[in-house]
Amino acid sequence: MTVLFGLRLGRWGLAGFTLTGFAWNLTQTVGFYQVVGHSAAERAAFGASIATLAARFTALVPPPIQPETVGGYVEFRGFHELAIIFSVWAMFAATGFARGDEERGIVEASLAAGARRTALLASRTGSFAIAILVASAASGAEFGIGVASGGETVDPRRVIEVCALLVAIRLASYGIALLVAQLATARTAAASAGIVLLALFLLNSLSRSFPSLSTWRWLSPFRYYDLSQPLPPGGNFDLRGFAGLILVAAITVAAAAAAFERRDIGESLIRVPARDRPPVYDPIAAPWWRIPVVRGLYDRRLGLVVWAIGMGAVAVMFAALTKSIVQVLLSVPSLLPYLSIFIHTQVYPAVLGYTWFNFAELLVAAFAIVQVARWAAEDTDGRLEMILSAPISRSALVVERMAILIVGVALIAAVSAAALLYASHVNGIDLDARRLFAASLMLVPFCLVFAAAGSLLTAWNPRAAVGLVAAFAFASYLDTELGPIFKLPLWLQDLSAFKLFGMPLLNGVDGRNLALLLLLAAAGVGSSILLMQRRDVGA
Amino acid sequence: MALAAIRTSSLTKDYGRGRGLFELDLQVAQQEVFGYLGPNGAGKTTTIRVLMGLIRPNAGSAYIFGLDCVRDAVDVKRKVGYLPGDVPQFGSLRGSEVVAYLGGMRGGVDRKVVRALSERFDLDLGRRFREYSSGNKQKLAIVLAFMHRPDLLILDEPTSGLDPLNQQEFYALLRETREAGATIFLSSHVLSEVEHVCDRVGILRAGRLVKVADLEELRRARARHDLVGTEPSLEEFFLSFFGEGKPKQLPS
Repeated sequence: MTVLFGLRLGRWGLAGFTLTGFAWNLTQTVGFYQVVGHSAAERAAFGASIATLAARFTALVPPPIQPETVGGYVEFRGFHELAIIFSVWAMFAATGFARGDEERGIVEASLAAGARRTALLASRTGSFAIAILVASAASGAEFGIGVASGGETVDPRRVIEVCALLVAIRLASYGIALLVAQLATARTAAASAGIVLLALFLLNSLSRSFPSLSTWRWLSPFRYYDLSQPLPPGGNFDLRGFAGLILVAAITVAAAAAAFERRDIGESLIRVPARDRPPVYDPIAAPWWRIPVVRGLYDRRLGLVVWAIGMGAVAVMFAALTKSIVQVLLSVPSLLPYLSIFIHTQVYPAVLGYTWFNFAELLVAAFAIVQVARWAAEDTDGRLEMILSAPISRSALVVERMAILIVGVALIAAVSAAALLYASHVNGIDLDARRLFAASLMLVPFCLVFAAAGSLLTAWNPRAAVGLVAAFAFASYLDTELGPIFKLPLWLQDLSAFKLFGMPLLNGVDGRNLALLLLLAAAGVGSSILLMQRRDVGA
Repeated sequence: MALAAIRTSSLTKDYGRGRGLFELDLQVAQQEVFGYLGPNGAGKTTTIRVLMGLIRPNAGSAYIFGLDCVRDAVDVKRKVGYLPGDVPQFGSLRGSEVVAYLGGMRGGVDRKVVRALSERFDLDLGRRFREYSSGNKQKLAIVLAFMHRPDLLILDEPTSGLDPLNQQEFYALLRETREAGATIFLSSHVLSEVEHVCDRVGILRAGRLVKVADLEELRRARARHDLVGTEPSLEEFFLSFFGEGKPKQLPS
């Protein structure tokens, strides 16, 4: 019964991620047959171009095996990226149960109804296991459908193996997040689990570029995932790696259960004793709480600092990796024709600009979604009702939210640009500072498009807003990825913020694209103001 | 004739299937303490949310000090202190930060008033909201409603979660606030609370206002009601009014 209850609570995550996995793999598989070509020479050329692409992303995903085959291509573009996306799902599911449900009183009510703590934790883990089995099966089934659409066949055993790997890595991520959530405070559980999982992910992926890290990569579950690539011809399924993932999941879930048994509900296992202090009866006198926009930025200060430092650190990592990646690529004669598109300018700045801004777009889209989640939470937990009981108009509220987001993302973009500029200088890569800052500021209207869509969706239905804006961002990304492959109409491709962002460091800021981004954002904000005026709050 | 603090005319908010608020005609005079009574789901919170401009009526109109609650919502809220039925979640913000945030948004908050209120209810503003007990959360909501010395207080079940001592303190605060010239509109299930503080009461049932009376009139009616010879409480009267002369007992 509690397993079903867990599935009921996580139904939106299950539906969303199953659909995401299905759509992602389907478009990758069908897209493969659109672009791979027909002759052996065309396929080989395609495989070489994918290898070039893969080399840019070795810090994220392992290099592909035989990317000129559907198995090799979809393993690289589909399943590897799904493993990252679904690990994020595992993290939110685990921390949502461990601490979120506690905050909402669900855990307390379950324990009061007679459930044992270990049984409760086991049942919720079981719910998640069922959910990921369904989502992984959907991803695998789609791969079979996509391959059949291309007139080829696939060994079902290979598909089962790749799905089993997806299940195992998500279970391991879930177990780790569950354990961290027992040790951290409710406030920091999701962030702490995210940091730990990111660190483990980077430990493995950076060990491909920094050999000194390879002695420690056994600590990362992602290492055991990387040992297998079952889909391409000549690929392998490493049974010991798979067993390693299951072992990590089992140990961490067991440790989390032991910690859950020992800690107080609402508290973390590791608890810092509160200091004695006299009671406070005065409100804070600081002037920033009275200044519109500034008060919102101050309220979000911790999150903004974490985002700025995080993006800055990633920018530094990209700058540090660029030379070694490009040098490896230049040493492969067959890749030189593909690199020539960069060499007519300056190869290092060009590659760095391309890779960094591709990744920064994803991070900034995620930042927008996080802000939308906050607006939706304000609506559902009653804060909006309280805010609107102050003499502030609804349109002013929407405008202030947008202004806070603009200043926040501009700050993050500026910090990451400064970090990239400094790190590239240290690594001997000569970036044009003016163009870099202009390109970084282009992230602001890019972010505003997703935020405006989120604002509109929050005004319409706050409970569904986060999932819908994430789906919008995903569709926007697919649009730019698949638009050229499926020859979608230009106007349709231009609806994608990812397409409109372009490559401003390489080509400069495109005025038309900037205007379109601003137009899309203005349409979203305007519509959300109109909708906000009409809707009931707290009803 | 003095301007009414609250005036509604045929005010309707229809949620369908008979739920909502229907044809509400109500007038609350300035400096009056008006109790708004009714069972769960009667439409008390819906009325309050319409008055606060949070939800839009399907028909009719509502005015606060002559200002339209929909069209002039911002101006209305300058004059109103609001205590919602469910205290919102402020997560890890400290009490002092919540006061500063909402006070900054509102403006015109006197720090001395905040200090006096938090001392009076012994509310430690240095603690995080998520560490507060439900009673302390309610105290914070009281501080937020009273901190700018509003002309009208709209309070949705204000003593929910308060212990008896703090309830008494709250009643005293209501009396002082009324004496200072404010109008108070409060919804409640606690009939003794209404007896303590209200001048008049309105009884709402299934979205319709079925009775408005001053407290003395209600007491007289109650005395005449089939409880002659006893000193029936307002609670007994309330139960008999809604067709439940005796509280139901749980099955053994």
